Amino acid sequence: MAELAVELGPLKLKTPVLAASGTFGFGEEYASLVDLQNLGAIMVKGLTLEPRAGNPPPRIMETPAGMLNAIGLQNPGLAGFLNKELPRLRYYGVTVIVNIAGDTEEEYVELAEELSKTEGVAAVELNVSCPNVHKGGILFGTSALLLENLVKKVRHSCRLPLIVKLSPNVTDIAEMAFVAEKHGADIISSINTLKGMYIDVARRAPYLGNITGGLSGPAIRPVALRMVFEIYKAVKVPVIGMGGIADVDDALQFFMAGAAAVAVGTANFVHPPTIPSIVSGLRSYMEAEGLTALEEIVGIAHR
Amino acid sequence: MLSVARVIEKEELAERCYYLLLLEPRLARQSMPGQFIHIRVGESYMPLLRRPFSVAGASPESGTVQVFFRVVGGGTRLLSALRRDDSIDCLGPLGNGFKSGRVTGPSVLVAGGIGVAPLLFLARCLVREQKKVILFYGAQSSGELLPVKRFLPSGVEINLAAEDGSTGYAGTVTAAFSEAVERGLRVGEMFACGPRPMLKEIVGLNRQKWSFPLQVSLEENMACGVGACRGCAVAVKGSGESAYQRVCREGPVFDAAEVVL
Ligand SMILES: Cc1cc2nc3c(=O)[nH]c(=O)nc-3n(C[C@H](O)[C@H](O)[C@H](O)COP(=O)(O)OP(=O)(O)OC[C@H]3O[C@@H](n4cnc5c(N)ncnc54)[C@H](O)[C@@H]3O)c2cc1C
Ligand SMILES: Cc1cc2nc3c(=O)[nH]c(=O)nc-3n(C[C@H](O)[C@H](O)[C@H](O)COP(=O)(O)O)c2cc1C
Ligand code: FES
Repeated sequence: MAELAVELGPLKLKTPVLAASGTFGFGEEYASLVDLQNLGAIMVKGLTLEPRAGNPPPRIMETPAGMLNAIGLQNPGLAGFLNKELPRLRYYGVTVIVNIAGDTEEEYVELAEELSKTEGVAAVELNVSCPNVHKGGILFGTSALLLENLVKKVRHSCRLPLIVKLSPNVTDIAEMAFVAEKHGADIISSINTLKGMYIDVARRAPYLGNITGGLSGPAIRPVALRMVFEIYKAVKVPVIGMGGIADVDDALQFFMAGAAAVAVGTANFVHPPTIPSIVSGLRSYMEAEGLTALEEIVGIAHR
Repeated sequence: MLSVARVIEKEELAERCYYLLLLEPRLARQSMPGQFIHIRVGESYMPLLRRPFSVAGASPESGTVQVFFRVVGGGTRLLSALRRDDSIDCLGPLGNGFKSGRVTGPSVLVAGGIGVAPLLFLARCLVREQKKVILFYGAQSSGELLPVKRFLPSGVEINLAAEDGSTGYAGTVTAAFSEAVERGLRVGEMFACGPRPMLKEIVGLNRQKWSFPLQVSLEENMACGVGACRGCAVAVKGSGESAYQRVCREGPVFDAAEVVL
């Protein structure tokens, strides 16, 4: 039987296919549709210290083979998450990775500190790449210096495995990955959405309430894949690859580019059982190719 | 909640407006008026996302559900090309439907355009509860009006409106309803569905003048349809995270007093 469990540095996962942050809510929304046991982990919706209302609608618009979103980190805040969402997630028995965001370094640090004290959280994912909020967030992900300071500080206060989720909205993503690794990231995840927009020709105005949004879905896959390929060359820590993955073939491309695990986002909306079907597809692939561990093909496209 | 439905019937009943009868016994058993199904209109990535459509009728006996849709873009164009015996991938029923209360006056339904779809289902249920049902239904012109009589029990009073004056009341459905109220129409409870500007007007008038118990069924662009993405936000009175609710989850039917349109 092919072994699907993976170890990403200090983080052990049952399968190498995760649900990407913001696309699987807090698990509850999909619990009746998807067997959560197939998920390597749920990366929950971006969490901030205080609750956030999010951006004015419209928040989403479809684009060719993709979609723009400008949710604006609508979330129940740390207390709401700990009291309501986390107990339910623990009940499902699924590995929980908490995606955190903040306006200031202090906010990230406090979140990481609090979550480190919490039972049932497997890792923290630093979201330094949300294009839809106007302070903090993506700023940290687009300046190497800001990223360095943030990762250093969070690393200091975070006892959990630390994932840094990079923004593709930079000139050289490999450099950002290198900075994140150097200052304490255990894992790199990549990519977040690409900043984009849509103009309503009839209204002669931007369509989204937030004006710009983040592009996701199959449309971004080639870009995401290239970035994972470059990051793999630049760092030694494991990479969680994502961006437009919808089937097992897409996932295999990311493994071959260097991802040690993959995450599925937008495709969950289209076909809720995408993750279980990729997991079973991987199993079949490994059996057909005589692989005992997925590791054997991670980064193979570089050789 | 994910299922494959078979097309039993498809018919163009008005300009660019189609009727679909789908065979899917579970959906037929579980659907309530006001709920919707999230349909994957094609296998390709164009369009990528599912499209939401109101359940316009459900018959547990025959295992069928009805959908009415209007062609407005690529997704609905694909749906219009469906043929008998084709299969479609449906997620649902989703969302919260209409809640009819104990009222003394008639139940009045106000529909703009294809917004009539969920109200047809509601009308049938209300009639079954022995309520007096009055439908106001309007569109741009008579050619865009669905032959709703065919889909309603005989007790329902139907008032049509066409903005171009081609049939019934000459003007918007909101104006037709307002005038009826001014002439003394009794309203026990009220349900409305239609384009956002129409709902905005009705909710505004209701706040200023009538104060009828009013529920509205809202639309917003959707991705997941199940509450996960927070994409389908509608503003509600409140603060903090509750400043927005999800049309797909807390809605699509809302108490008019709660939403900010
Ligand atoms: C809960 C709910 C129930 C619905 N029930 C029905 C129904 O019973 N029958 C029906 O015909 N339609 C219904 N709709 C609207 C329907 O989902 C859209 O018309 C459809 O998604 C358009 O898809 P498309 O690919 O054809 O158009 P697109 O190419 O996506 O869009 C074409 C144009 O249509 C307009 N449009 C797109 N989506 C919407 C929308 N959600 N509301 C208003 N305008 C839109 C946009 O302005 C766009 O420019 C419902 C929507 C919701 C949210
Ligand atoms: C609706 C939506 C909400 C998202 N919210 C978050 C978020 O809160 N935090 C985050 O780090 N990424 C968020 N993302 C980005 C995804 O996690 C993922 O990185 C991106 O969508 C690319 O993957 P995909 O093409 O498979 O969707 C969101 C994406 C979408 C579509
Ligand atoms: S469509 Fe995703 S939350 Fe409503």
